Amino acid sequence: MNNLGGYEEEFRRLFADESQTRLLRLSTDLLRLEEAGNDAELVASIFRDAHSIKGAAGMVGLDAVARVAHVMEDLLEGLRNGERMASPELVDGLLVAVDALRSLIPAMLQGEALDDEAAVVEAGVRALVDVPGRHGTPSAVAPADVPPPGSEPEPASADREAAPRRRADAAAETIRVPVTRLDELVRLVGESAAAHLRMGRMLADVLDVDPATLGEFRELSHVLNELQEKTMRARMVPVATITDNLHRAVRDVARSCGKDVHWEVRGEDTELDRSMLEQLADPLLHLVRNAVDHGIEPPEEREAAGKPRQATVRLHAMQLGSEVIIAVSDDGGGIDVDRVREQAARRGDDVTGVSDEDALYLTFRSGLSTAGFISDVSGRGVGLDVVRTSVDAARGRIEVLSTPGRGTEFRIVVPITLAVLPCLLLEAGGHRYAVPMHSVLVAQEVDDDALVHAEGRPTMWVGSQAVVVSDLGRVLGAERDAAGPVVVLSAVTRRHAFRVGALLGQRDVVVKGLGRLLPRLDVLAGAGVEPDGSVLLVLDAPGVIDRARKLRDRPGTTTAAAAAGGRDRPAPGPRGAILVVDDALTVRELQRSILERAGYRVRTADDGVDALARLAEEPVDLVLTDIEMPRLDGFGLTEAIRGHASLATTPVVILTSRATAEDRRRGLDSGADGYIVKSAFDEAALLNAVERLLGRAP
Amino acid sequence: MNALLLPVDREWYAIESSWVREVAAAPLLVPLPTAPATVLGVFNLRGEIVPVFDVGRLLGVGQSPDHPFVVVVDSGLGLAALAAHAVPELADLGEQLGAADVPGGVARFACDRRVAVLLAVDEVLAPARIGGGRA
Repeated sequence: MNNLGGYEEEFRRLFADESQTRLLRLSTDLLRLEEAGNDAELVASIFRDAHSIKGAAGMVGLDAVARVAHVMEDLLEGLRNGERMASPELVDGLLVAVDALRSLIPAMLQGEALDDEAAVVEAGVRALVDVPGRHGTPSAVAPADVPPPGSEPEPASADREAAPRRRADAAAETIRVPVTRLDELVRLVGESAAAHLRMGRMLADVLDVDPATLGEFRELSHVLNELQEKTMRARMVPVATITDNLHRAVRDVARSCGKDVHWEVRGEDTELDRSMLEQLADPLLHLVRNAVDHGIEPPEEREAAGKPRQATVRLHAMQLGSEVIIAVSDDGGGIDVDRVREQAARRGDDVTGVSDEDALYLTFRSGLSTAGFISDVSGRGVGLDVVRTSVDAARGRIEVLSTPGRGTEFRIVVPITLAVLPCLLLEAGGHRYAVPMHSVLVAQEVDDDALVHAEGRPTMWVGSQAVVVSDLGRVLGAERDAAGPVVVLSAVTRRHAFRVGALLGQRDVVVKGLGRLLPRLDVLAGAGVEPDGSVLLVLDAPGVIDRARKLRDRPGTTTAAAAAGGRDRPAPGPRGAILVVDDALTVRELQRSILERAGYRVRTADDGVDALARLAEEPVDLVLTDIEMPRLDGFGLTEAIRGHASLATTPVVILTSRATAEDRRRGLDSGADGYIVKSAFDEAALLNAVERLLGRAP
Repeated sequence: MNALLLPVDREWYAIESSWVREVAAAPLLVPLPTAPATVLGVFNLRGEIVPVFDVGRLLGVGQSPDHPFVVVVDSGLGLAALAAHAVPELADLGEQLGAADVPGGVARFACDRRVAVLLAVDEVLAPARIGGGRA
């Protein structure tokens, strides 16, 4: 093809990397463009990226991609010379094209023939030429500031975009290092520290020299400590690396539900371990989408309440000691605690005497939602229980504050790094374990007199909370410790006390994973190597607490069986009964097969009237209904169910091809519990929604 | 074929030499709570934490009574150790006697009046054989 000599492969690989970097920057810049208007420098940067992609794509033979970039370039030319203004529609269209290229280019480089798909993207961008520009006041920057077409854009001197630009320049002084290499460094530094400790023991045991009296030994300790800290730093990345994605999510969700939302980030320079940040990316995305979709009221409602039309969703990151706090807050309507209580009560929870504050934490339980309503945007069958699970996995905790009418704030608190954890060392069931300090609430001697008994279980008071005490050795499948101190562990919103054999002290543990060969063991976070070379297991508080609760809930389970079985799978026994209501046979049968495969008993009805007749024969655990049906539609059916004495508490999920806000409101008004849009319909979303409403807590 | 013979209870299993990293004696095993029975525990091999497996249980032919030696293999998913109840021996596998019946077994070989079953290490250490955890 082109004059690439024998380096064709190399060029394609380079293009793969480079195009991703450029496309990523393009989507960030496009988002900023929407806010900043036709900022000369920004437009120039966008233009440059499109131009470079065009050139490079042509070189490696991806002509179809080059054509897309070419049309983008034409369009951007209009922005550059001031003929057209950046409108949300224009940015929408360009973002779609950028997203498409991000997935098309790698696939095409792998040899997939996707020229037709690229042509579709090209046509999409071409269609944008006819999109009208933004109405009303043009952007802050007068067209005169825009360099004439053809001239190279000059670097801006001191406009408001200068600061982020400088950050980009600073980034230019960095090099890319594979994460595996950094991990290896961290491992080796850990090894050196362990070897150093062994050496100290040898000096004492063999030569009878106290290492603390040796200047050289102390010097080595000092240098090793510093080395360890600096190496850890090398793995840290600023929170800013994930905020662009969040910004995009806020924008997309806001546009799709017709809300006006301002996105704000503070403390984006706060650094934390790369793998930790990766684990938090999804829960944060969920919280942010949740804030826009559920937290923020529609503009009219805000105005009526005397609030500005434009709402604010803010991410604020900060470091506090060895922990990082990332808060996602909105100035929306707050969480409706009464509704949360109502939902919990419907699931059969006892909510009498649950304070407003405690009720907020109920939202983290499977099956409950802050909106009381599964919508297609942030819903998709994922609730805050999923956020909880991810934060658990990151060994963090989550706090929620909400004021009616004023807004909601979720705070995720995680350790800066998982690689070195300050740990409490203890003995249980004859084995030594480490427990990360951040999950230890209390560790103390407890007299038997201080324990109260309830439902046959020892319980102790921690502040104003009664916490059940389990035997740690037995929970871990070993011997029971008849007497000994008690350690109270906390994980996200749960607390549990454990009787242990002995407390052995505190130490920083370099935590390693247990490798990919072993199945995941929920009670373990990893393991460290002791100075004497033996392996020290690090317990995972959330996993240990869950196991203790599960054992407690199954009296009569022998610990031996529990120890041998590992983590239990959910029993595949019969689940609930579901009534599927739809006038289209194919839809009905599709849903029936999905639900039956998941273990539900399924009955069907053709329309609302038929459904009510079926319900009169025998009640079900959940109704899944279409909206548009002859005789009685989905709204009518929902209202009839809610108005019926014995059926009123049956959860109803509406499944429809309609997606307007008006429909959703009607669904909510009629008393439905969930709303799934057919365009967003997939098997997992359906099952998730159903499982949440039937309260199948994991 | 050059192989390492692994004594497991009264039987012999063979592992092709290319899989084997080293043989370690009397590793200090730490049992893992809630792990499946095929996992005897983990030990520290020069700073790396290596899981030790009970070959008898992996193959479903019973359990090893004792494990004074382990054979460290590179499984492709990281290092793993297979427990042996006596010193493993290096040997040349002789005549092939037929296909093996145990899952993960390749074939039976004659070896010095003994019968050794050659193992495909990656198959023996497949997640389904190890068990436990979630799918």
